Amino acid sequence: MSNSLDAYLVLSGLLFAIGTFGFLARRNAISMLMSIELMLNGVNLSIVAFGAFIPGLRIDGAVIALMVMAVAAAEATVGLAIVIAIYRNKRTPLVDEYDAMKR
Amino acid sequence: MAKLIAQVLIALIILGMVTGVAAIMLLFLGQDWEDALFWILASVMIIAGLLVVLMRDIIRCGLAMIVCFGSLAGIYVLMGAPLIGAAQVIVYIGAISVLILFAIMLTQTKDAPSRLVFQTQAGPAAVASVIVAILIALAVTATDWGASAERVKAGANQIANLLFTQYVLPFEVVSVLLLAAVIGGVFLAKREPGGPS
Amino acid sequence: MNWDLLIPLIALLPLAGFGITALIGRRLGKQAHWIPVIAVFATWVIAMVVCFSVLTHADPFGDKGYGHTLFTWIPAGQFVVDVGFYVDSLTACLLIVVTTIGLLVHVYSIGYMSHDPGYWRFFAYLNLFMFSMLLLVLASSFLVVFVAWELVGLSSYLLIGFWYRKRSAALAAKKAFIVNRVGDVGFALGIMLIFATLGTLDIHTVLEKIGTVEPTVVAVIALLIFAGAMGKSAQFPLHVWLPDAMEGPTPVSALIHAATMVNAGVYLVLRSNPIFASAPGVMVVVAGIGIFTAILAASIAMTQTDIKRVLAFSTLSQLGYMFAAFGVGAWTAAIFHLMTHGFFKGLLFLDSGSVIHAVHEEQDMRKMGGLSKKIPITYVTMLIGSLAISGIPPLAGFFSKDEILGESFKLGFWWVSIVGYIVAGLTAFYMFRLMGLTFWGSFRGPKAIWDKVHESVPVMTIPLILLAIPSILLGLFLGLPPGADSRLHGWVEPVFEQGQKILYGAGHTEDAYALFGIDGVLILASVTVAVIGIVIAWRLFGVSLPGLHREPKPEQVQALTARAPFLYRASLNKWWFDELNHLLFMVVGGKVAYAMWWFDREIVDGTVNSLGRATLKTGRGLRLVQTGRVQNYALGIAIGLIVMAGSYLLLVQR
Repeated sequence: MSNSLDAYLVLSGLLFAIGTFGFLARRNAISMLMSIELMLNGVNLSIVAFGAFIPGLRIDGAVIALMVMAVAAAEATVGLAIVIAIYRNKRTPLVDEYDAMKR
Repeated sequence: MAKLIAQVLIALIILGMVTGVAAIMLLFLGQDWEDALFWILASVMIIAGLLVVLMRDIIRCGLAMIVCFGSLAGIYVLMGAPLIGAAQVIVYIGAISVLILFAIMLTQTKDAPSRLVFQTQAGPAAVASVIVAILIALAVTATDWGASAERVKAGANQIANLLFTQYVLPFEVVSVLLLAAVIGGVFLAKREPGGPS
Repeated sequence: MNWDLLIPLIALLPLAGFGITALIGRRLGKQAHWIPVIAVFATWVIAMVVCFSVLTHADPFGDKGYGHTLFTWIPAGQFVVDVGFYVDSLTACLLIVVTTIGLLVHVYSIGYMSHDPGYWRFFAYLNLFMFSMLLLVLASSFLVVFVAWELVGLSSYLLIGFWYRKRSAALAAKKAFIVNRVGDVGFALGIMLIFATLGTLDIHTVLEKIGTVEPTVVAVIALLIFAGAMGKSAQFPLHVWLPDAMEGPTPVSALIHAATMVNAGVYLVLRSNPIFASAPGVMVVVAGIGIFTAILAASIAMTQTDIKRVLAFSTLSQLGYMFAAFGVGAWTAAIFHLMTHGFFKGLLFLDSGSVIHAVHEEQDMRKMGGLSKKIPITYVTMLIGSLAISGIPPLAGFFSKDEILGESFKLGFWWVSIVGYIVAGLTAFYMFRLMGLTFWGSFRGPKAIWDKVHESVPVMTIPLILLAIPSILLGLFLGLPPGADSRLHGWVEPVFEQGQKILYGAGHTEDAYALFGIDGVLILASVTVAVIGIVIAWRLFGVSLPGLHREPKPEQVQALTARAPFLYRASLNKWWFDELNHLLFMVVGGKVAYAMWWFDREIVDGTVNSLGRATLKTGRGLRLVQTGRVQNYALGIAIGLIVMAGSYLLLVQR
């Protein structure tokens, strides 16, 4: 099983789906960000899997994965900074309270 | 007290089941240890992921996330990309997870655990996620990727080679991006001078 | 003799009279009658000169008449309408009637309306009416005839509703105008059809070219023109307005509803005789409707109690005669009766006005009686008129009525003939019933009125005398020698020549007049029928002539009516036509209108409104999507992704 590309890809899809559910269903902003991290990781896994199994890609898969990781770190930083800034204003981390754009 | 024992019991049962399947695979189905290891790591990762999105206490979600990242790093190593696995541990577990835990601590409210965990749209969200999973699985298994059974091993010096010759531009851009992220994060999270805490 | 100037003056002088009187009449007060009367007198003089020249076939009229275009009214490419006049013998006959009776009515009104505050208004309207009627008779284009047609209807409306503060008068005027309008629609459609098939509206061009149109279209045109005539001349079923039109002052009834406006319909069909001749089926329809109206109206006139209403139904009946005559092909008889009827009916109406004036505005005959001793001139002239209309020789009515009845029999329309004889008998009966109730016997009204009964002023009685003269002599003048050689026949033969040719083929000659043959028998029949009617009326309602005296027997009248209660009630209620119209149009029509209103409000507006409401609701519903929460939007994204990816997978990859 560990030799087949499909398994890794299905796994990454599963992780992505779990992250999607968390993103759509959790109330706390930090939980949403954690779910985003899960999704990113799922994608990362698929990139590395492609890199590992497809000869034409050689090492590019790993390099891309590294880039993705860096970007994910940057994004997590900024996102959490934003959540903290909003928390200072609204005193609550629950996203259903952030409805100032409501009609 | 009773809840704690129940939770520990459930955890142990699940772990036991996972290990049991691995053992079966190893001993009875004649698969080699890589497969068994893959099964264990994969199931741990999935279970941890589910815990991240389903658990009530955010701190515990964060910890589950760390476990998830850890097993993912293991899978990277299994795939033949140890550098990525190491990076996963250092960056995700060492930096991002810590950051998240800090943020959780900074934004905690008194009544956090007793309030509702899920949104009203949790039901549709679950359905959507399941369908997404099914779609991805179907799409992926139906495509011919031209994969070979032979793994491409991505060693550190090969990655470094590529990173500093062919991909030097993205490398520099990513560093600038990280700089910007740092500055932005500091600026956003900074306390107003004399403002509310 | 500048005819091109003189002939338009016939119509324009009354128009000028109307204009001037309308503008300054109020200030003239009691003197307001001078300008209109002088205008009409001048018109009469010119008309007499013109008629003399026309009927003696002088230049430039010759045989066929003389026409001249004054100006082009509508030059719109193919649709060109010229305004001009055309004067031939038919026009001359009408001019004689219209201008003479018009003049006498104007003079009479000086006396009749002298106490009315709207004196100047009355004369202004009368002049307007004269202008419209003369324009109608002189016009050379169907469209100008239509304009004059409408103007005549308008003048009639203004004059019927002259006492506009009286509710019944206003309603009657409206009814007249609306019923007229129904006929006018038919006429307008006929004109449009004429233009569509022939491309021109000039009367003479149309009549020349009518042979080129296919028969069914010609029949439709004829029918439509007759529809217009039905409205204007009050034939069944558009007759309902004429009795109500008696709400107007009596001179109006005399002028418009006896002598001129109602004759416009007859004039129109006579003028269009080639069109009708090309559609024999329509002519039978005309005859049928005419004679049916005749007997319908006569049956109603027998029981009416208002003196003017009896005369109104009598007019309807005689008009029916004219149309019946036209329908059977006896066109000379139709115009003959038009002329004689104009005179003696005008006389009868003016007489009734004199009677009403004498008994101080009482119109119910049951309150009259015995007036012959107190108002002699009125009495004698009315007697002359009644004899004329009953068809007693040698007065005018005998000649014209006998010609109609005789011709219809000889041309094979025996059903028209038989009904016509019955109507003649009924006519004699109800006219002498009127005489009996009004002039003979003893006065049945309040004594105070009886003391104040007096003859009318000379300005009113002189027109009566002047009208009695043609009632006696016109028949002799126009109708002798009898048959196809009569003077009138000689006058109008050129006008009817084309139509007669179409109807009978060329070379049709009429049989010589057989006084001791069939014609003598028919004369005897019509006189006998009239005498029977008169005698019956005398026995029931009394008579008081020198040498003949009978008392009225109201008990016998009661006994008779008791024997046929349904017929009596039907006759008294005018065969319930007004009620039928009310039911059909007001009640049923009202319901239809209500249904339409409901449909428009509920369904048409409802559709539009519900679209609006649906939009509002959709908007309100869609507004809920904007929660302002990122997660809801993200769910939307996820669903969109699923839909797109899923459909791609399902539809493309399979």
